Amino acid sequence: MAVWDLTVAVEELGPEAPPLSISVTSDLHIGGVILKIVEKTQMKKDWSDHALWWEQKQQWLLRPAWTLDKCGIHADARLTFTPQHKPLRLGLPNGMTVRLRACFSGPTFRTVMGICKLLSMRHPEELSLLRPVEEKKKKKDKEAQEEVYDLTGVPLTSGSVPNLYNGMPAHFADSPQTEAVYKMLSISQPPPAPEVIAKMYRPASVVDKAHIHSRWLDSSRSLMQQGIQENDRLWLRFKYYTFHELEPKYDAVRLTQLYEQARWAILLEDIDCTEEEMMLFGALQYHINKVSQSEPQAMMSCPAMDDLDSALQSLEVKMEGESSSMDMLETMTTAPELHDYLKIFRPKRLTLKGYKQYWFVFKDASISYFKSKEEGFGEPIQKMDLKGCEVAGDVNVAGQKFCIKLLIPSPEGMNEVYLRCENEQQYSRWMAACRLAAKGKSLADSSFSSEVKNIQAFLSMQHSNPGAASAQNDENINTHSLVSPRYHKKYKPKQLTPRILEAYQNVAQLSLTDAILRFLQIWQALPDFGVSFFVVRFKGSRKDEVLGIAPNRLIRIDLGVGDVVKTWRYNNMRQWNVNWDIRQVAIEFDGNVNIAFGCVTADCKIVHEYIGGYIFMSTRSREQSDTLNEELFHKLTGGHEAL
Amino acid sequence: MDQLSDDELDHAAEEDSDKEDQDLDKMFGAWLGELDKLTKSLDDGKPEKLRKAPLRQETNLANFSYRFSMYNINEALNQGDPVDLDALMADLCSIEQELSSIGKPNSGTSRLPPPGEAKLRQRPPAGHSVSGHGRPLASNFSLDDITAQLEQASLSMDEAAQQSSAGAVSDHEVRSLGRSPRSSINSASAGSMDSLDMEKPPRPPEVDGLQQPAPQLPSQDTIAVCLQEEQAAKLKAEKIRVALEKIKEAQVKKLVIRVHMSDESSKTMMVDERQTVRQVLDSLLDKSHCGYSPDWSLVETITELQMERIFEDHENLVENLLNWTRDSHNKLMFTERIEKYALFKNPQNYLLGRKETSEMADRNKEALLEECFCGSSVSVPEMEGVLWLKEDGKKSWKKRYFLLRASGIYYVPKGKAKASRDLVCFLQLDHVNVYHGQDYRSKYKAPTDYCLALKHPQIQKKSQYIKYLCCDDVRTLHQWVNGIRIAKYGKQLYMNYQEAMKRTEAAYDWSSLSSSSIKSGSSSSSLPESHSNHSTQSDSGVSDSTCSSHARSQSVVSSIFSEAWKRGTQMEESSKVRVSP
Repeated sequence: MAVWDLTVAVEELGPEAPPLSISVTSDLHIGGVILKIVEKTQMKKDWSDHALWWEQKQQWLLRPAWTLDKCGIHADARLTFTPQHKPLRLGLPNGMTVRLRACFSGPTFRTVMGICKLLSMRHPEELSLLRPVEEKKKKKDKEAQEEVYDLTGVPLTSGSVPNLYNGMPAHFADSPQTEAVYKMLSISQPPPAPEVIAKMYRPASVVDKAHIHSRWLDSSRSLMQQGIQENDRLWLRFKYYTFHELEPKYDAVRLTQLYEQARWAILLEDIDCTEEEMMLFGALQYHINKVSQSEPQAMMSCPAMDDLDSALQSLEVKMEGESSSMDMLETMTTAPELHDYLKIFRPKRLTLKGYKQYWFVFKDASISYFKSKEEGFGEPIQKMDLKGCEVAGDVNVAGQKFCIKLLIPSPEGMNEVYLRCENEQQYSRWMAACRLAAKGKSLADSSFSSEVKNIQAFLSMQHSNPGAASAQNDENINTHSLVSPRYHKKYKPKQLTPRILEAYQNVAQLSLTDAILRFLQIWQALPDFGVSFFVVRFKGSRKDEVLGIAPNRLIRIDLGVGDVVKTWRYNNMRQWNVNWDIRQVAIEFDGNVNIAFGCVTADCKIVHEYIGGYIFMSTRSREQSDTLNEELFHKLTGGHEAL
Repeated sequence: MDQLSDDELDHAAEEDSDKEDQDLDKMFGAWLGELDKLTKSLDDGKPEKLRKAPLRQETNLANFSYRFSMYNINEALNQGDPVDLDALMADLCSIEQELSSIGKPNSGTSRLPPPGEAKLRQRPPAGHSVSGHGRPLASNFSLDDITAQLEQASLSMDEAAQQSSAGAVSDHEVRSLGRSPRSSINSASAGSMDSLDMEKPPRPPEVDGLQQPAPQLPSQDTIAVCLQEEQAAKLKAEKIRVALEKIKEAQVKKLVIRVHMSDESSKTMMVDERQTVRQVLDSLLDKSHCGYSPDWSLVETITELQMERIFEDHENLVENLLNWTRDSHNKLMFTERIEKYALFKNPQNYLLGRKETSEMADRNKEALLEECFCGSSVSVPEMEGVLWLKEDGKKSWKKRYFLLRASGIYYVPKGKAKASRDLVCFLQLDHVNVYHGQDYRSKYKAPTDYCLALKHPQIQKKSQYIKYLCCDDVRTLHQWVNGIRIAKYGKQLYMNYQEAMKRTEAAYDWSSLSSSSIKSGSSSSSLPESHSNHSTQSDSGVSDSTCSSHARSQSVVSSIFSEAWKRGTQMEESSKVRVSP
């Protein structure tokens, strides 16, 4: 058999070095070629991660047993001998960038699995990589400033179960640097400055949103094959909006990143919501930020140990106190109360008397008021039972206005009552009491003092000068950081704060995990949640239309008006296929419904993969959540290449 | 007075059970006396006296709030239905039995379930005194707290004692309980942690007996030494627990209610404040032998406002009834309502936002329900369209484009497109319930009779705070009402339905026991497959097909579902013909 020369570039020899030339025969297998290259370099190092990349064909030669002949390689082939794992700069859902070693040779699906394992996120099938949106007028110096968390030194673990060490996966516990990376991954970022939000790219229309989806990488091909180079920047995002078994115990990073992605989707109006919903999202962001700042060390995993100590302590206190049992009975039976001179106003009576001052006593879950303090032991003028009432604040710190608005239900209807307090302290105590009473709790409830503190903290936000708010700390957040730019124009921070405060009272008691879960729940309950848009041309139609791909259905949307024309559910789907020659997706539904469309804004492989991906997600069962059926995924999403 | 009662409670808790027996017996005697008076006053025909009965027992242990719509009780008494009293008497007798069983607690061999379960557990009531006051005593809250606290404390101490004594016996056993003695104790202490966190008031004196073992728990050696103390503590914990149960029973509020049956008759029964609608339904079904179906409902009718609502199974009945005013003409009806769970029988008609009714294969129905209710969040059906809104305080109705979202009901303001950000919030659903309006065409000049109302449950009279909406057809009305229910209750609604179906299934099992002997020969040999075939074909009902198979198979269950669905659709069809009652 004829011997011929094969040229192979080896990066390790330096950029200037000429490619190696080795003599081969056509029946030499790839493994043999690699052996020859390694011998020729005369370098002693671990070559195990290296493989051959065929530049003209844009493909890896990964089967050592195949002969050159079988691969179709001739003397004109230009090969590169290069590592399969290369560093990649990865933009995370929280906006941070992490540099890590990713697989450039396997299918992207497997690359994402590797990345997720490194970042300790479960269910990698829900995520994928996409090319970032080019930022306009990006300055060189700005990019240099960007903080990059480095994880390239961390070895990829082969064990499937990430063992915890110090409340974090063991591979993060190696050094302070990696610990900082884990902290960044698992703790949500503080709210961004309003200017940052305003500056970021926001999709203005459905078509804009559709363009984003043209950036997804093909899951069945490798990064190299898709032109991704070493040190390139890619985004890691949740692609499929069906989140399997969110479990706070194991999903610290996953939950945080999911929350971050949801938060940015809201802030950048990637998903539409009502004003009320926006305020609630704002309140939750405020709360999540506050709680994660205050308990940064107690990871979501095990707060029990700290609590145990405090529990033991209070047990001791309790034991010491038992001698004076009579005193205790006293304190037990006399419930705590609040009393103060406050002003009351009842708009229902059509008098213009305005606020009138009385002596108010708050006891259990009701407010009584008297003419004066001296008469406080007699019959009250009125007693209001607050159970089930609605409480809202009307506060303007600058104007020294501290009002509590109560809507007290009665058989006749709701009674509207305004209470006016003198100052912040008074307001926060009475407000807290009213809120507890509305939930049927008494002042004796342990949450009273924390409720008071919450209100005070929130009020302090109004003190801040909105101009100076960019200098942020955890106590001082510009409320503009919590809502989308639309509301920056609509409301001043001063006006926004009470609105968010109102929503905040319903979530202030939530733990960090619960608050994040609540945020995600409300996000998922939005009508447009999880819909990815593509501009398509339906068969037989002359105009472009929008196809929305949701976790459970396909939606045909009129591009001009934005109305939903038709919905098809995957449940009724018989089969779908792609005609790769004319790049047309055809789907058949129950009842002989057939649709076909070509894709305008994205490659039809992306659309095909999206649909197949959702079908795959729905096949995951609760029982065997740990095993990932990679083969099935490729079968459903790969198209002709995979088969 | 209140302080006194607390004092006595604590006191009583420390006393021997014998003494308590006597106390309770005495109290129960007083109760029966009360009942005698009730009967007498009935004979006299002066029911008003009832409410002036002695307010409080000397023991003061019990705190039984007795409240009831005067209208309802008057009516009930005027009918003079002796059966009602019999039923009440039976209730009281069962209470007596339970009382005596509590008086003799078993000797601490049984372990209590964890605190969470303990709440669910049905506890028999211990004692009552009739009092005319509608409101609970002022001290209720603190007393509740103490009770919860005590229970937690005793529970955790007991657990700790058990585990540590096991440690003294053999190392091996300890390991089987937990990974290390330390960890097992941790878990026990963690149990008490909640209660310790919960409130500040100091502990009542009962706990002091437990003081000694507590600090020594962490070390295993010391545990071995003070084994005896542990046992003493265990005994003490047991005593405390018994006392606690009694305190708890005494706290329970009871309500005598009158339930109107579908056949114009009525039943008077006693419900306790912890009972859910489901539990009350179950006991009504047991008593009335009317055949089991998940459609049995308790319906609240607010006569004055001409509206009604089916209570959801998970709701607390007493809480809802306490919203009625004293002289309320409201009614509570026990009746079969197919619309209660029509949503789950034909989900395709409610969840897909389609305009027309359609059929769907059962497996698709299940998949649809699974998809809607079993994800990480419940998807609220996309209801939107033009509805008539009655303007506040006016007689006119005007059209608006409404949308339902998980966060509430919105409408599109004039001249705007329906982009989410421009929507105006009409109502958030946290504080309101959804009611069916009855005959609003004549009452409020509504455009159609398909009206719904949204109001705070406490509102009982005409008010500007009640919102009235009117739909063009009955189908839209049902879609909106069910959409609002889903938005408000979420997954709970589905769980209620599954629970109801489980009961139905169980009921079929029971009813089949009698007939199984006759039929078992033929069907026990046949495959589950054939069961399901049989059941879907037969018109006679489900019980034939399911009776004999003891090991329930999936297909049998689904056949029941399908049968129920089928019936659901049929009834729905028929109900469309006769819309107004």
